[in-house]
Amino acid sequence: MAEVVLAYCASHAPMMSSARMAAPEEQRNNFFGALDAVREEAVERGVQACVVLSNEHYTNFFLENFPQLCIGLGEKNWGPTEEWLPIDKVWVPGHAGLANHIARHTLEAGFDPAFSHQLELDHGIMTVYYELDHSMKIPLVPIVQNCAVPPLVPVRRAYEFGKALGDAIRSYSGLQRVAVIGAGGLSHWIGNPRVGDIAEDFDRWFLERLERGELDQVLDIPDDELELAGNGAHEIRSWLAVAGAVDPVRPRTLAYEPVYPWITGMAVARWDTTPDREQTSASVGAQDTRREESLP
Amino acid sequence: MSWYQMHRCIYDWVRAGEVNSEDSGDGRAGFDVSAYELTDDERKAFENRDIAALYNLGLHEVLLNRFCRAAGFARDDYRKILEPFGQKEERKARWQK
Repeated sequence: MAEVVLAYCASHAPMMSSARMAAPEEQRNNFFGALDAVREEAVERGVQACVVLSNEHYTNFFLENFPQLCIGLGEKNWGPTEEWLPIDKVWVPGHAGLANHIARHTLEAGFDPAFSHQLELDHGIMTVYYELDHSMKIPLVPIVQNCAVPPLVPVRRAYEFGKALGDAIRSYSGLQRVAVIGAGGLSHWIGNPRVGDIAEDFDRWFLERLERGELDQVLDIPDDELELAGNGAHEIRSWLAVAGAVDPVRPRTLAYEPVYPWITGMAVARWDTTPDREQTSASVGAQDTRREESLP
Repeated sequence: MSWYQMHRCIYDWVRAGEVNSEDSGDGRAGFDVSAYELTDDERKAFENRDIAALYNLGLHEVLLNRFCRAAGFARDDYRKILEPFGQKEERKARWQK
């Protein structure tokens, strides 16, 4: 069965790619240093596929049909869509086996995810995925959530979906080593008079709650209160889904930087899901690392 | 107000310029706004790239953000445009002391 060998979350402000140098050097180094660390860990642990949860930004869905949750089942997905985002536009390999297993398992667990056989991936997933694998070859199962257009799925429900997602990954027999990643948040405002503000108090409080495992205070937040940390704060749903997927493991914050030029509280937190695991001594070749293994 | 039509128009225009899997991102040049049932105010706001008007007409903030980026507004610029419409927040959240 598959094991979650890497679990982390990271903010996904598009300016981390499009205006990278606008951030103060120390903040930039801290944030990308954390992402470098998890990328190295992905290689060391031989990650074969990743599941990345992010949120919909009116890229795939519009008001005729706006799912709360959509799993990318396809053999490939396209991204990034933004013409101004300086990441190569490519077909990103999917992992239909794992994706279909997640869809089936979460349906049986009482959730109703939509599915898509071809998603258009915007900065929400592509910025963080690119930092995981600059070659963009690791098979990716994208999961996009509605974190913007009311009514939203309750925060607690996102966490509970994450629990089902974790169970799904761990019951999949087609792979051995999977990463689960959340992309988005923390506090930020977009498209309104407060764009550029960052709620540092919220960001630090949220990260501390995660580290302490005091999630009830977070999971009970109604949307109108969460919005006091910005309309972008709804994206913590992806973080909470990852927390659910690897519960009861608690994360450690690798970096937190309120990057005002990127208008976002930028954080990276990592859950050590395999503390006793010996890391492979030699970096496995990328192709070998990422090839699906046929298991009996 | 034709709230849906305004959103559809903005969404289609933004997407027409993006590099998605089937289009090369050059679809904004011939964009036909007359295909949408907009009020005069909505059409003018779109055609004039009037960020303040679109905000006050109720355009969803995520879509407004995407429109601003696609239309070439820097964030500092569109913040200045929207700042006058901000309202002081009196409520306290659980993380605020």
